[in-house]
Amino acid sequence: MLSISDVSFRYSNRYPMVLDGISLELNDGEIGVVLGRNGSGKTTLFKNIIGIESPTSGSITFDGVDLSTISRRERAQKIAYVPQDIRFGSLTVYDTVLMGRVSYFGFKSGKHDQDVVDEILCEMGLESFAARNVQELSGGERQKIAIARALAQEPRMMIFDEPTGNLDIANEQLIVEEAKRVAREKNISILTSVHDLNLAMELGDKFYFMKGGRIVYSGRDEIFTVENISDIFDAQIRIVDIDGKKVIINSKGDK
Amino acid sequence: MSFIDGLKALIRQGAENNIRIIWNIRIPRVIAAAVAGAGLAVAGLIMQTNLNNSMASPSTLGVSNAAVFGANLSIIAFAGGFLSTGNNVSNYATGANPYATSLMAFIFSVISILIILGLCKVRSFHPGVVVLAGIALGAVWTAATTILQFYATDVGLSAAVIWNFGDLGRATYKTDLIMSIVVVLSLVFFMIMSWRFNALLSGDAAAKSMGIDVEKLRFTSMLLASVITAVCVSFLGIIGFVGIICPHITKKLLGQDHRFSIPATALTGCILLLLADTLSRSIGNGSALPVGAITSLLGAPFFVAIILSRREHV
Repeated sequence: MLSISDVSFRYSNRYPMVLDGISLELNDGEIGVVLGRNGSGKTTLFKNIIGIESPTSGSITFDGVDLSTISRRERAQKIAYVPQDIRFGSLTVYDTVLMGRVSYFGFKSGKHDQDVVDEILCEMGLESFAARNVQELSGGERQKIAIARALAQEPRMMIFDEPTGNLDIANEQLIVEEAKRVAREKNISILTSVHDLNLAMELGDKFYFMKGGRIVYSGRDEIFTVENISDIFDAQIRIVDIDGKKVIINSKGDK
Repeated sequence: MSFIDGLKALIRQGAENNIRIIWNIRIPRVIAAAVAGAGLAVAGLIMQTNLNNSMASPSTLGVSNAAVFGANLSIIAFAGGFLSTGNNVSNYATGANPYATSLMAFIFSVISILIILGLCKVRSFHPGVVVLAGIALGAVWTAATTILQFYATDVGLSAAVIWNFGDLGRATYKTDLIMSIVVVLSLVFFMIMSWRFNALLSGDAAAKSMGIDVEKLRFTSMLLASVITAVCVSFLGIIGFVGIICPHITKKLLGQDHRFSIPATALTGCILLLLADTLSRSIGNGSALPVGAITSLLGAPFFVAIILSRREHV
């Protein structure tokens, strides 16, 4: 279980706090979705969890272990990250996924590492892609490869930063299904950020609305109210019920 | 010397002069070409990966410029120039001592590396900072060299300019041994780190999340790549373009997987410098042309052809 307790962060003493007293808990197999405007601190929160940045105060623990007390390699074996800006070298899909095992093997991959990669490629239906150069793939396929590489770390938790940002609707649905499958079948907890509020409701179990580096509202999908969303996003919306499902629509310009 | 005479001399048969030419002049030169070619090419590859910049090369950090300044200082100021005896030509012999000049070149290269790496430590080795700091410091060394040359005597100036030409003829077994130790040890380190370099291609954040200490990797590998450059340039002078063209050729042909691109780039560097050296001796009409000029002259059009080719792996 991920437990973040009163975490604050700033880049240096000259700058204001980017994260201000963040606390949250996420159980195994749960999907948490962080929502907020650009610059609200979502990516910085993720960087603190992964260890790219260190909290100025507060603590982040995973299964009771303070993440600041373990090595980078040990942390990589607990938490994997799929960044917003996915870049790959000119490698085959197989080697790109195998790269996720680097925290286990260091210099040369062993049979177990290759078995793990084979299994992941098989589960995700990527076997036929294995020998292809990852540069030749489409945006959605590259996103899947990034997830496969993160899964190769055999993590207990995964963090996705805007996983559907540049994808068309079909690929968006694929990624959502993949994230849900991973959480359900592998009991991996997922913390992600998305901009699309309807997609967020479809994807998440728990939600955190961030503003100015703080979590202002958190809970299940009952926090998706017109007041809360207007407060966080400064946007004009309406919430309608379609076949028993909450749908948020843009109401700016409505008469 | 005919081809057969050359082969005979290789197995220490035939005329004594031929044996001396082959074993005392040609072989050290060939070893230097192979080792420096491999070293400079791999140094270029590692810098390109670490700085996420396909235009990075061993000269990016100003290491070569610093070596030139050190060598020029040795030749112009300390022996053949104004500080000691003005136009005293007879004193130039001291400045011509290759080890004194190489040592000065190396010392200034290392000073330059340490300044850059020290500056970059402040900003956590952000690639952009490393490149800009390297360009700035390189400009300082070039300016200092120009000022030095402005005050130089004719003899000092010509000696300095000749030193700047890359010349494999300066190689001896001793210098070959020193270069080989540095290049081979660095290559072994780079090979061990090849998966980490692959991870670095995905960006710093992704590499860190895979458990890699990016700052430490970048510091160590940039230091080693710079030391390779410093050693080669100190002994042989400026040999341009090998460090930029060879990584591009191998990346175009084999992709960016460092498990393959490191040895392939080393091999390409070996071959390129050996070919360039052979050519420099063949077309020089008795005297070898500067090999650095040959690598750039022939490398550049080939490089452009590679860049414009259809295969896209870079």
